[in-house]
Amino acid sequence: MSTVLPSLPAIRQSPIEAWIETKCSGEALREQMRQPTRLGLEVPTGTAVTLTEVSWRRRLGLKGPQAERWLGSQQLTVPAPANSYAVTDGVMVARLATSEFLVEALLPAAQARIASLATQLYGVSRTSGVYAVPRQDLVVELSGPALGALLRQVCSVDFEPMLGVAAPEGPLVLTSMVGVGVVAVPIGGDGRPGFTLWADPSFGHYFWTTLIEVAADLKGGVRLDAFNAG
Amino acid sequence: MKRLPPVAGEWIDRTKPLSFMFEGEPVDGFAGDTISSAVAAGGARILGRSFKYHRPRGFLSAADHDVNAMVQVEGEGHSVPNVRADVVRATAGVRVTVVNTRGGLKKDRLSILNRLSRFLPVGFYYKAFHSKRLFPRWEQMFRDITGLGVVDLESAHRPTPKRYDFCDVLVIGAGPSGLAAAAEAASRGAKVLLVDETAALGGSGLYARGGEEVAAELRALIDAVSTHPNIRVLLSSFAAGYYADHWVPVVTPEAMVKVRARAVVLAQGAYEQPAVFRGNDLPGVMLASAAQRLLYRYAIAPANSIVVLTANCQGYAAALDARRHGIRVVAVLDIRQQPGPESARVAEALKSNGVRLLSGVVPIEATAATDGTLNGFVFSSSGSRESVTIDGLWMSVGFAPANPLLHQAGGTVRYERSIEQFVPDQLPPGLQVCGKIAGVYRFNERLADGQRAGADAAFSLGFGSAPSIAALKAPSESPSHGYPIFPHPKAKEFVDFDEDLQIKDVVNACQEGFDSTELLKRYSTMGMGPSQGKHSNLNALRILARVRGEGLEQHSLTTARPMFHPVPISHLAGRGFSPERHTPVDAAHAALGAVWMPAGNWRRPEYYRVAGRTREEAIAEEVRAVRQGLGLIDVGTLGKIEAHGPKAGEFLDRIYTARYSNLKVGMTRYGLMLDESGVVIDDGVIARLDPETFYFTTTTGNSATLFREFGRLASLWGLPVGLVNLTGHYAAFNLAGPFARKVLQSLTDADLSDGAFPYLAVREANVAGVPCRLMRVGFVGELGYEIHMPADFGPHLWQVLMAAGAAHGIRPFGVEAQRMLRLEKGHLIVGQDTDGVTNALEIDAPWALKMDKPFFIGQRSLVVLAKQPLKQTLIGFRLADGVTQRPRECHLVIEQGSIAGRVTSVGRSPTLNHVIGLALVRPDVATRGEFQIRIDGGQMVSATRIALPFYDAAGERQKLGDPA
Repeated sequence: MSTVLPSLPAIRQSPIEAWIETKCSGEALREQMRQPTRLGLEVPTGTAVTLTEVSWRRRLGLKGPQAERWLGSQQLTVPAPANSYAVTDGVMVARLATSEFLVEALLPAAQARIASLATQLYGVSRTSGVYAVPRQDLVVELSGPALGALLRQVCSVDFEPMLGVAAPEGPLVLTSMVGVGVVAVPIGGDGRPGFTLWADPSFGHYFWTTLIEVAADLKGGVRLDAFNAG
Repeated sequence: MKRLPPVAGEWIDRTKPLSFMFEGEPVDGFAGDTISSAVAAGGARILGRSFKYHRPRGFLSAADHDVNAMVQVEGEGHSVPNVRADVVRATAGVRVTVVNTRGGLKKDRLSILNRLSRFLPVGFYYKAFHSKRLFPRWEQMFRDITGLGVVDLESAHRPTPKRYDFCDVLVIGAGPSGLAAAAEAASRGAKVLLVDETAALGGSGLYARGGEEVAAELRALIDAVSTHPNIRVLLSSFAAGYYADHWVPVVTPEAMVKVRARAVVLAQGAYEQPAVFRGNDLPGVMLASAAQRLLYRYAIAPANSIVVLTANCQGYAAALDARRHGIRVVAVLDIRQQPGPESARVAEALKSNGVRLLSGVVPIEATAATDGTLNGFVFSSSGSRESVTIDGLWMSVGFAPANPLLHQAGGTVRYERSIEQFVPDQLPPGLQVCGKIAGVYRFNERLADGQRAGADAAFSLGFGSAPSIAALKAPSESPSHGYPIFPHPKAKEFVDFDEDLQIKDVVNACQEGFDSTELLKRYSTMGMGPSQGKHSNLNALRILARVRGEGLEQHSLTTARPMFHPVPISHLAGRGFSPERHTPVDAAHAALGAVWMPAGNWRRPEYYRVAGRTREEAIAEEVRAVRQGLGLIDVGTLGKIEAHGPKAGEFLDRIYTARYSNLKVGMTRYGLMLDESGVVIDDGVIARLDPETFYFTTTTGNSATLFREFGRLASLWGLPVGLVNLTGHYAAFNLAGPFARKVLQSLTDADLSDGAFPYLAVREANVAGVPCRLMRVGFVGELGYEIHMPADFGPHLWQVLMAAGAAHGIRPFGVEAQRMLRLEKGHLIVGQDTDGVTNALEIDAPWALKMDKPFFIGQRSLVVLAKQPLKQTLIGFRLADGVTQRPRECHLVIEQGSIAGRVTSVGRSPTLNHVIGLALVRPDVATRGEFQIRIDGGQMVSATRIALPFYDAAGERQKLGDPA
């Protein structure tokens, strides 16, 4: 039986589509995912803490004893230690375990690269020691001066040493946040200081609305992704 | 009680006066006053009523433990019960009333209970409640009279979000030793969090002065700690518990902070203990440290004329503090035969000022004026009885270490006779103890001990070099008396002020056989009040030990459980996190009128509401749609897991009861999972996508647990299996009904014909442009396809399928319709038709058990169980037509008056038009054609056993050709 590649143009939908439906207006397609263009409650840049949903970004999960070799063959920088990440040309390779990786295009220009990688990965036999891991995550970028305060309310990990750092490589954190397992990488939008979180999409609505509630207590709120905001 | 002229270091701000109402009368105070201090500054000596006998009570400790001074505070938009008046700051404009009174503080009608005390002996709760007949009466009476304040449900919401905090060294207690520990750890580079319950740094160093100024060393230390960049300070905050890995909840005025420290220093000091004599609870009798706190924190003279009853040098020092503020010291009465050397040194200063000093004193009783407050003290000295007229009696006879957190952390203590105190014996890694809690009382030695503890804590984390250990000098005098307890024939010598327990209560409890610490506590309620025995447990233990003729070395104190100190419920509530999962099609269900039900931590449509239809009618229509046309259900909550690798088949052979290593690629097989005892714990469908890749489902509620267990088992068995949890990342639907193939075929190029895609096959194919996994399965007993796809395409494909099926009357169907459909088909639901003891032999599914395999979990137990008679078996039944009252799930099967089983599933089949069900029954019942079920109200209903399945026994429906 052959592996089936996504055959677009089926429309992808954000894990927080229900929230978007009630709070946002306007619509644009981004990487085949519906994205709003207007948000009534958008907070200005520089607000205490801001949340931006970027689930639209292309990503790829892969696993298997040959996964590291396969990534290396794609001229990607593969971080050596488990629980670390490396960013090259807008593409992040996160090592979630010895042989499990999450690859995501952080910048608009890098999206095509992920699509190309996906094509190649899905073309590889699953019996060759590397196989795709579907990643339909809710992805949220967090930033702002009150980010540390927000993280201290939602997670028992001490993120303080990682705040304000947006290094091209470094450690990431696999943890539970408001009761939901997340991957937390200390880079914000466009590689600026902040945090990006990947969460299971089935928890998406709960996770997103809970973070908004905490952010609101801290005088923070939601910002649309800059790509669509204009 | 009166306010003094300004006192250096006082906590009140005299530039900010404030007023509030207390028991209907105006009270003036200043910012920084507690409710109690403001009231007392106005001259009041009675602050509250005791819990049991409603005796008038005043200050005891003025140290956050005066539980008899609890009040209700009403302000703009809020009313808060059980506010501790000695802790909470006074606020302008509020109305304060004392809780636990009937008719107000001054004229509490329930004070009659004080005269009825002989009818309320120790353990009367148990004695009274022993009678089943009287229990309702007692319960109602106590409910009526023991209310502590009123909960106002209309109070404005006040957010109290919990947060985490982190540090290298957490120092709990900011007295001299805690300050020294914090300063030393910080100087070594450690990040320090210093927590103190009071509003200022300094601890007892600020008030236990012996008439002197605050020590210069302490002032310097406070300055150093306040400005050190490595030290953060949390004041008015207390550590309420101690959990594993140095996790400490710190209760701040606003919220709870969960502190994760790498090392902890306990420097919480010691609680001064009362002497136990008749009338020791009268307003005006207080701990000497309470009086000192009032003097130096709130500039309040607690009395005009006092006696100090003491057994240590701290009592003599308190007398000097009294004299410094113009309070007449009638006498210092030492209950020891003679003062120790340190006491004698301080006594010299008093003696030179003409203060009368007596040793070998035996307290007899404190006497009360008509208003219930102290007006005199009777004692004996050198065999003669003497009375003095006073309005203040300060007690300084000993201390109990503040060590609840030490116990919670796993530390042990031993009784040190030379200082009559429990001191730390064994400490868990990462925990240091210093100061009074460790039995170190002299100021300079507390500083040295704190410095040592701070150095040890920091060094254990890699900060600085190994500390040198300076030996502390042995104390020349014990700070505590070994038995400051003086029974009186007329009793009313209080051991526990929370619960109004007297000496005789402890003695009687022991004589009734409750003569161990744990039994005494529970029988007498000693230490079970809000102060958790801070001022009573040690004295009670001393009495217990004496009754048993033992020393305290043979006893230990109970471990106060977290939170050991009163915590507002609002702080415990905080913001709760209860994750709820939604499938990707959640919004579509809502738009279709879904009525939600919980399934594990998911929400699922129970059914879809239809205008003009009842719930039952709507569900029946959904069932009929699947049987006669087409239905679509969201099954995305199922666990969805991939297993990769050449050993994946072997792995699944071990996990499930059937064999998968021989499963053909492109086919599926039912999977039944057991635990080690052979009990059914889960089931699902296992599909083989290629020789080394399996894709399988688990039940909704078990997916997360099982995924973790699979990883553990793969590691345990040493099988190199790659496991991927796709549960949240994949959507899944079941398209079922006679038109399923026809509709699905219209959306895909894959060949769905019986030859190319037979029953129980699996295929990977695009459907409407979406990459899907299609499994032809028959849980609901009709031609059907489970369609699995990446979650973000789920809503798109749901809409496409609903649109494509519209011509054939497609209906979304919910969990209830699915339950009926599978019941008609006789398919069990694990967890509903099985329970925690149902083994695989009892569900009548021998076809699923491949006992000839080398191993599967539960196999060995089944071999044993197979040799024993069955205890129960799962059978199908139906009720006769026309039965109007039908059983419900869990109704019992009754055989000759005994329980012989229970109904596990039941419902009226829209297809068969009668009531059908499944039941777990005794095998002898199963052999009969008829049995009885007891329904609500005790009526019996006859049921007839029916062979399963109820519907389509030949299994032809799943293999139907396309309808015309």
